[in-house]
Amino acid sequence: MTAVASTLSPAEVTTVEGDPDLDTDQPWIVLVWNDPINTMEYVTLVFQKLFGYSKQKATKLMLDVHEKGRAVVSSGPRSQAEIDVFRLHEHGLWATMQHDE
Amino acid sequence: MGLFRNDWAVRRRRDGDFDLVLSPQLAQVVRDLLGQLDELLEQAPDDPSLRRLHPPAYLDDAEHDAAYQLLAGDELRTKRREAIAAVTDMLERERLTDDDLWQWLRSLNALRLVVGTRLDISEDDDDRDDIDPEDPDAPLWQAYHFTTALQYQLLTALGG
Repeated sequence: MTAVASTLSPAEVTTVEGDPDLDTDQPWIVLVWNDPINTMEYVTLVFQKLFGYSKQKATKLMLDVHEKGRAVVSSGPRSQAEIDVFRLHEHGLWATMQHDE
Repeated sequence: MGLFRNDWAVRRRRDGDFDLVLSPQLAQVVRDLLGQLDELLEQAPDDPSLRRLHPPAYLDDAEHDAAYQLLAGDELRTKRREAIAAVTDMLERERLTDDDLWQWLRSLNALRLVVGTRLDISEDDDDRDDIDPEDPDAPLWQAYHFTTALQYQLLTALGG
């Protein structure tokens, strides 16, 4: 009985977490990072084109990238984040994706 | 070489398309630069100057990034070469659609990234216009400034 009890002691019990590979409720975020080559005008227009953002919102995001080093440009399930990263790479921007913590 | 006003003209038409007119000299410069980039993409895909065309997608997950690079690497290269071919064809035309202009923008941007990588551009180099003609990098700087200026004009026409 002691062995069973120690096996089932609270320290052994792990909480069941969502598998991050399933597109359930673990959102992913897409970040764009500052770089010395892409121009501010280009980055702003790319944000407008890829995400449908207004010029105002796209400009704000671009300024965040420029001044803070990076900004979150979109979030969602993993599959969508990967598509967004790819489209940003296609336009020459440096984008990465990670869990939203 | 500077970008002179009579070397090019771009404007949005009333029907939403664009007119882009380049002097033969300018068109040849574009053709040459794109041709060189295409050759690099085809024959030397691992050249370090292409590095910024394939940035990492995951910063803290080497395994997932390796998978992404495998999937995305060829796709990105193919799309870039297709854009270069499309833009080269467009040099013969004057009327372009919105999508055409974006092919231009992406191609010019790819050139800027590659040339900029070769020049090891940093944030401070933004306004460098004092290039010594004897500098062996002078042609690279010219290409960089030229593609930057042309891209800026196209962005302005698109409403950027």
